[in-house]
Amino acid sequence: MISHRDNNTQRIAALDERAEALRLKRGMGIADARAMHPSIDVVEADPEADRRLLEGLADWCDRYTPLVAIDGEDGLFLDVTGCTHLFGGERAMQDEVLARFFQQGFDVRAGLASTPGAAWAAARFHGDRIVAGGEEEALLSPLPLSALRIAPETRASLESVGLRTAGAVMAAPRAPLARRFGATLLLRLDQALGRLDEAVSPRLPVAPLSVERHLAEPVVLTDDIERLVSRLAIALKTDLERRGEGARTLALLLFRVDGAVNRIAVGTSRPMREPRLIQRLFHERLTALEQSIDAGFGFDLVRLSVLSVAAFDLVQGDLTGETDDDDADIALFADRVRARLGEAAVLKPVVVESHLPERAVKTVPFAEAPQGRAPAAGRTAPPRTAPPMTVYPPERPVRLFRSPEPIEVPATEIPEGPPMNFRWRRALYRVARAEGPERIAAEWWRQLPGEEEAPTRDYYRIEDSEGRRYWLYRQGLYSSAPQAAPPRWFMHGVFA
Amino acid sequence: MLLEVNVMAMSAVARDTVFALRRQIAKIEGTLPERLQAPSGCAPGAIPGKVRSSFPSGIAQNQTSNDAAGPDMTIVRRGLAVASADAFLHTGIDRLDAALGGGLPKAALSEIHGLETRDAGAVAGFALSLVSLVLREKQGLPILWVGTTEIFHEAGMPYASGLHALFGVEPGQLLFSEAPKLLDALWIAEEAARMTAFAAVILEIRGSPRLLDLTATRRLHARARSAGRPLLLLRQAGEADPTAAPVRLIVSAAPAASRETLAGPLAGSIGRPAFKVDIGKSRTALPGQFTLEWNPNEHAFAERTENSVAVVPASGRGADPAPASGAVLAFPALASPAVASAAAGDQPSRQQHPAHRSPRRAG
Repeated sequence: MISHRDNNTQRIAALDERAEALRLKRGMGIADARAMHPSIDVVEADPEADRRLLEGLADWCDRYTPLVAIDGEDGLFLDVTGCTHLFGGERAMQDEVLARFFQQGFDVRAGLASTPGAAWAAARFHGDRIVAGGEEEALLSPLPLSALRIAPETRASLESVGLRTAGAVMAAPRAPLARRFGATLLLRLDQALGRLDEAVSPRLPVAPLSVERHLAEPVVLTDDIERLVSRLAIALKTDLERRGEGARTLALLLFRVDGAVNRIAVGTSRPMREPRLIQRLFHERLTALEQSIDAGFGFDLVRLSVLSVAAFDLVQGDLTGETDDDDADIALFADRVRARLGEAAVLKPVVVESHLPERAVKTVPFAEAPQGRAPAAGRTAPPRTAPPMTVYPPERPVRLFRSPEPIEVPATEIPEGPPMNFRWRRALYRVARAEGPERIAAEWWRQLPGEEEAPTRDYYRIEDSEGRRYWLYRQGLYSSAPQAAPPRWFMHGVFA
Repeated sequence: MLLEVNVMAMSAVARDTVFALRRQIAKIEGTLPERLQAPSGCAPGAIPGKVRSSFPSGIAQNQTSNDAAGPDMTIVRRGLAVASADAFLHTGIDRLDAALGGGLPKAALSEIHGLETRDAGAVAGFALSLVSLVLREKQGLPILWVGTTEIFHEAGMPYASGLHALFGVEPGQLLFSEAPKLLDALWIAEEAARMTAFAAVILEIRGSPRLLDLTATRRLHARARSAGRPLLLLRQAGEADPTAAPVRLIVSAAPAASRETLAGPLAGSIGRPAFKVDIGKSRTALPGQFTLEWNPNEHAFAERTENSVAVVPASGRGADPAPASGAVLAFPALASPAVASAAAGDQPSRQQHPAHRSPRRAG
């Protein structure tokens, strides 16, 4: 028996058959129930876990149709339009769904109708019924008002005027009903009867293309899965070719025998349709996920879906059958690394117009970076690394620290000059030579109103007594004001 | 004991004999066969010390295939010594090229060590200057820089703006790959090393992890060799572990020269980057130290000799292990002063266990 807290009382939220046989009811107080039957076992309700379970079931139902929606706290809508013949007709499909759920230990009611409303009513009030098109009215007429999916208040007021079945509501004139009980009632009625279309919004985006294979014998080994992927990819290729497209995102769905579903997605930098390459990408992904995929008793359905597509440009190879396309090689390499190690595994620097060194170069994941390499010869635009007006671009270090590291500077020769020595990472460095300063002001146009102005930085190139070159900066200026904080020094990069 | 054979015209049997002879000579000399001077007359333009460059490449490959067959086979080694002249990346410094037996091998793993993490700037700079030399031929090809999160955090990310100004590497040409674990970094580097789409792959690692052993470097080296692309392994603050890389260089920063102005050097200014390069391991070279300066305008190295630091430590061949070291006399034609100084002037540091002490089997 499950209890939940409602208005500061513990009440029965759900109960099993044996509890029902003891004449306990939903909504009854736990204290009353305990008084009647002291031995009952009460468990606190956990809506979160229920929700997770329902989502797991919805995942599992993906095997029947890609259009699965969650309905309330205890229902699933499956839009099986065009899918039933794959399972041997409507009857056979519903039987299979019920049987499979039963084997998993669920007590499930199902209804199949041409409208969501009728299916909802059939499932809740009949349990296992298939409603042919046009029979919706006959199905609904004898059912109570709760079969119409209307709010409890509407139902109560309808009952108070003597309309107790859906048939009675249907028979009543429409205009007064709408005026008195709102448009929702008629909307629900029309939807259930098929006069209005009702869209079931699937919980997952529907893949434009997918191929799947049902397996009589579940597969367990990763190698077998990879082989299946390559078979499925071959089937997918013809579809993609027909559409003139290549896949940008691919998902592999592995349906485990016991109902768990694994979703494995890979992205590609450029549209792809070659089965061999798709298989290699999934090989990397599966290798990376080897620990987290639990094959259990095996997977009995494997589906390969294309989640997003892009136009595929055909490249003509030369007579030797080789296309000298290094970019494609690199894109594939980046995809494989990405598939194994995550989105940010391959980064590409992008030069941004900014004076702040840490902002001037942004590293973006390879897939998001502008494609194509820098033009090697016959360059049209000058490189944007140097501001156009300076003859000699300011010297920039070879390596830049992610975040500037604070250093201790005991003394400078002149107040606004370079340090004489400094301590960085607990080691003392003696400055032999220094160049600078190069003053870089904060970007005031990025400041929020009311925000304190970021201090300017004075950068120095420093060479220590052993010949290593560093890039230091002083943040802020020395000030004679008594409360002024002393400027701070940071190590920002190292030169070659 | 001077060997005078017309190599081009000799038969296979004769060649084997010659190779066997050379090996014997090398043994008597206490040096490596590769370091023997080329037979005169067969390779007019060949760099002294790189004997095999004079052989037709077909022969070289032939030897490669059966070189592990038995002790009485030729002494030709895989990869390095048999390669043709354009298999080497010429640094442009004759002395260094000669010491390395022609230059840095292009299709190979090369280790560049920095003794401390704070040398990371110099090590990265030296590696990039080598990459810049590679890019002279492979214009526009991208470069992949693989590193562990640790090293990028400790030594900083390579900064695209700085690289462009100094080494002419466009930001669009660069790819970074950051792996949280060393195993992943090695995997990425191995996968990248077998591709020909990259001009060069740089793998940067900090310390001396156990994973980076002889096997791992051998795998990297094999891939780089088959792809024909250089793979630079930057090891910051690492020990001189056993490695399959034919060359290990130890790089640290050298004080830069002053900036040149029309009125002469500008006092107190910091000019072009300079590196101190020690040869830590090489099949052909005795350890030596070089101070190189990188010219960012011409993208070329220049050797600095006027430095106050003694470039060549003044010591004899005291550390030479071979008892018959006097046999240098047998080769009076140590004509090139560069080789003479490289071979005679340097003394290996104890710590580095140079490769020349005994002919190693590891290729």
